Amino acid sequence: MAKLTINGREVEAPDGAPLVEVIKNAGIFISNLCYVDGLPPYAGCRTCVVEIEGMRGVQLACTTRVADGMVVRTDGEEAKRMRQAALSLIMSYHSDRCLTCHRIVKCKPGDTCLRDGVVTHRCLTCSKNYRCELQTTCEMLEMAGYEPWEGEERTYYTTPQPEPDRANPFLEFDPQMCIICTRCVRVCDEVRHTGAITLAGRFNPRIEFGAGGPVHESNCDFCGSCIDVCPTATLMEHPNKWAAMQTERWVPTACTWCSVGCSIFLGIKGGRGVIVKPDTAGNPFSRDQLCVRGRFHYDFVRPHQRLQRPLLLRDGARQEVSWEEALEYAASRLAEIREAHGPQAIGFLGSPLMTNEENYLLAKLARAVVGSPNLDSTAGPVARAALEAVREAFGTPVLPADLTRVPKARTLLVVAEDLESSHNVASVRVKDAVIREGARLIVVSPRYGELCDFATVWLQPRPGQEAAVLVSLLRSLARDGGAAPGLPEALPDPEPEGVEAGELARAADILREAVRDQSWRPLAFVYALPYLAPEHVRATAAALCGLAVLCLGDEAPSCLYVLPQEANVWGMLDVGVAPDLLPGYREAGSPADQGDMERLWGTPVAGGPGSDVWHMLQDAGGRLRALVVMGDNPLFFLPDRQRVEEALARLEFLCVIDSLDTATARLAHLVLPDSGPYSKEGTTTSADRRVLRLHVAASPAGESRPAWAILRDLSLRLAQRLGLGEVRLNYARVAEVMDELAEVVTLYRHARYQELDNGSQQSWDGLSPRAARVPTLRLPANGHGDGHLLLTSRGLYTSYEAAALGLEDADRLHREESLEMNPADAAALGIGPGDLVRVANDRGELVLPAKLTYGAAQGTVHLPLHYRGGAALSLFGPGEPAASVRLSRA
Amino acid sequence: MGLTSRHSSRFTPIDFIADDTGLVARVQALLDDVEPDRAQMLEALHRIQHELGYVPKEAIPFLAAKFKTTPAMIYGVLTFYSEIRTEPPPRVEVQWCSGPACLLKGSRNIRLALEAEFGCGMNESAPDGALGLRLVQCDGTCHLAPLVRLNGRYIGPLTVTDAIQLARRLKEEARRA
Ligand code: SF4
Ligand code: SF4
Ligand code: SF4
Ligand code: SF4
Ligand code: FES
Ligand code: FES
Repeated sequence: MAKLTINGREVEAPDGAPLVEVIKNAGIFISNLCYVDGLPPYAGCRTCVVEIEGMRGVQLACTTRVADGMVVRTDGEEAKRMRQAALSLIMSYHSDRCLTCHRIVKCKPGDTCLRDGVVTHRCLTCSKNYRCELQTTCEMLEMAGYEPWEGEERTYYTTPQPEPDRANPFLEFDPQMCIICTRCVRVCDEVRHTGAITLAGRFNPRIEFGAGGPVHESNCDFCGSCIDVCPTATLMEHPNKWAAMQTERWVPTACTWCSVGCSIFLGIKGGRGVIVKPDTAGNPFSRDQLCVRGRFHYDFVRPHQRLQRPLLLRDGARQEVSWEEALEYAASRLAEIREAHGPQAIGFLGSPLMTNEENYLLAKLARAVVGSPNLDSTAGPVARAALEAVREAFGTPVLPADLTRVPKARTLLVVAEDLESSHNVASVRVKDAVIREGARLIVVSPRYGELCDFATVWLQPRPGQEAAVLVSLLRSLARDGGAAPGLPEALPDPEPEGVEAGELARAADILREAVRDQSWRPLAFVYALPYLAPEHVRATAAALCGLAVLCLGDEAPSCLYVLPQEANVWGMLDVGVAPDLLPGYREAGSPADQGDMERLWGTPVAGGPGSDVWHMLQDAGGRLRALVVMGDNPLFFLPDRQRVEEALARLEFLCVIDSLDTATARLAHLVLPDSGPYSKEGTTTSADRRVLRLHVAASPAGESRPAWAILRDLSLRLAQRLGLGEVRLNYARVAEVMDELAEVVTLYRHARYQELDNGSQQSWDGLSPRAARVPTLRLPANGHGDGHLLLTSRGLYTSYEAAALGLEDADRLHREESLEMNPADAAALGIGPGDLVRVANDRGELVLPAKLTYGAAQGTVHLPLHYRGGAALSLFGPGEPAASVRLSRA
Repeated sequence: MGLTSRHSSRFTPIDFIADDTGLVARVQALLDDVEPDRAQMLEALHRIQHELGYVPKEAIPFLAAKFKTTPAMIYGVLTFYSEIRTEPPPRVEVQWCSGPACLLKGSRNIRLALEAEFGCGMNESAPDGALGLRLVQCDGTCHLAPLVRLNGRYIGPLTVTDAIQLARRLKEEARRA
């Protein structure tokens, strides 16, 4: 630590820290228009000059590193003059009339500028007015009236300015406002590793995107990081650009569009979200990064497009009814069916898109109120398959891996279909490791994702053969005489299709070196779970656990990162939404665990193993008569679409709690409107088990209520009808649900809201790893027929909510509306870029344009999962990682 | 400015690029034996320019893949060197001197006149591709300032009227050709 004095004040800072950051952290204003915290200085704007005792003249605070005993003054006359001079140069190529004007406080946007008739671009008509760093800097440096060029011709106002680019739905680029600070270029390159922006030209430098075209034709992925650092109005969010000027308050909450769980601030105006910024201090993993989903998907579904009032199907038509009527109806139907067919005739689907509290209340409603163990989610089978392997390897389903260690890794193995699209910010952190730490990266993926461009080795197996690749690696490493508990004598020798032996050997060598040589560690194993094929997931997870154990022994569990797709998969399982689990990973079917739950809940609990989602659907209309679906959408997330639809239609009573009129909700007898992710309080649990708080930000649509309150009211009514006395079902606030959850599930022992707000997190007492062994390696058969294999995975851009509603512009960029296929395959079929292709098999067919890319291996084609409301899955059979399809020119 | 690093072992763009004019194939052939080493970048640009007369937009993704960076970073390099053209050269090119002597003698007005007459900006070609303007540096012939160069000849000192007359004559010739 260095002790220094700034403007006479003693300040402590780490030795060698950039002086400009130290000054800012001390709460002292310093203009620094080209500096980006954490990046190397650019030293272009010269507005950060300070005086340092013992040094001649003035120094740039951004290039100066602090040292013990330094005496710094920011308020000296000379430094101030120099800052003003530097700023006046910058203003000479910016619209500066308001910046140097005394009248700005009195001017309104409609007023004519009294100084200059031609000034149309000025602060008062600028969408960044009052939230602009350049403007603030001018105020702080007292630029009003500072006009050394007075009377001179100003080139800014005489040269024609370039046109703004407003052609894409997310990011507006108005080069006229640019002061060429290059912050955006450096952030896109050095923080995002995307490199979509450049400083073009030598004599008249300017900012350009891609190869000099519009933003959307570049490789920009609309993360918005450049917007955050732009000190002017050059780069702005397109949605709600003007409304966001009047942001009334900022609500800290979490993004729920993948399991990374980035922390965000949602800006609210008139009860509606108008802007998102990263909650930099609130999240050690996402820090100042988000992806396009976190930043812009809040705006894809407007409040009036959400469900407003309960809907009851009566005489073939849906009618709006009051909450009283709706809840009474639900309670009476469930009670009747329970009476007639027994509690097991009622099933429940929870969802990783809902909070821990809501999933917990659903589990309680199922097991304690109704008395049914039939409880699952469409996301359940895949997640439990992965956990089964993890549990076999480490004796616990809970991995203690902390994602903040990923950017520091030196060797990484990533198994994912396209991490860049599925878990964007996690992908950025993997790139951090590659670029900043010089890490080696092995990617195992049947199709190209941007991360492949950062890989030392990209192994591209045929779909469904990821496990085979990992087992081959395991085999190769075991041949060196590596030993690990559970490692079988004879390992299978799978020879994965599509992967060259040389590449496989190279990957094995990389792992081998990481084991042998400390300098290639930490090692990180990352597995982004797919949506489909539990059996394959189990095999892949088992092989990956085995590989981790062989490489790292007991350290393995803390270096293994399993990332489920949706936001709250782990939380949903933690609180017991699963047919074979009771809350807190107690085992369904264990009398001891059942007794435990009965004691905690004070009522008999259906503690046996129940039916999973597929069995429930199979039994629909027979043993299963009613289904309560909370936030889940089987007609979006499940394959074998036709069978799912038929099953749902056979139900006597389908009750859906959701904020959207999804395909599933449209089939329901009763729809209870939930208030959606931006309008409720609760928590979700991220991939690395951080518990994230959601806060009420936007006003709920219509009469919608948060699902926890709906479940409470429904449970209370049902309990009354069933004469249940003891069990607690009444909660005034959702915080009380978490208080109870903290008692019931040890993982959440320290996750009461008050504790969370003080930074407390999950505690894995009793659930930490107990062993490290290679789990059973079972390779699933690949029973694919002829034809091409269709893969589907999560794209980056399509909004789930908009896709679930079937909105036309669910993918506003239209980047995920085509079938990716290999140019060689296309040529063989006479298909050119953009031609319509018919993708068909016995289950159905789709017609859509082709996109030719070498990212799809020959023989495989790819379609984003969220395209047209999950249309791809209508061609998939249950359990298939890829569907066999026939392709033809349409 | 750091060039974003990519590490793939692939030296061609991942997405298929249609080649209706055969330009892409020519670019690819030219880049075939270039070492994927950043030090070779300028060499590669010169080679393409030498063969095609300019570096077409179509070449940018191939250059990006070859040198393991992004199109934007290649574009930045491309626009940095004023000797690299990004458009096919015009059939007739008027080279405008940007040097100090010319500037003092009013070359800015000459530039404005030429731009207005040709209907294109500096370092651009008129829409029909016949005529173009190019900014050049002083090469020591300042006694003729303000001047332009045309097919290796120096024309100067010019008045604005001279410049307009010159431009009109060239346009007329281009029209007849
Ligand atoms: S970018 Fe800032 S300084 Fe420039 S006109 Fe807008 S508000 Fe004013
Ligand atoms: S939005 Fe993100 S990817 Fe796009 S240019 Fe800005 S920083 Fe780069
Ligand atoms: S666009 Fe913004 S961040 Fe980028 S150089 Fe211009 S002013 Fe700076
Ligand atoms: S990475 Fe995931 S959590 Fe983060 S902003 Fe994107 S979708 Fe949201
Ligand atoms: S911040 Fe120091 S020169 Fe720009
Ligand atoms: S300045 Fe134009 S020729 Fe020297």
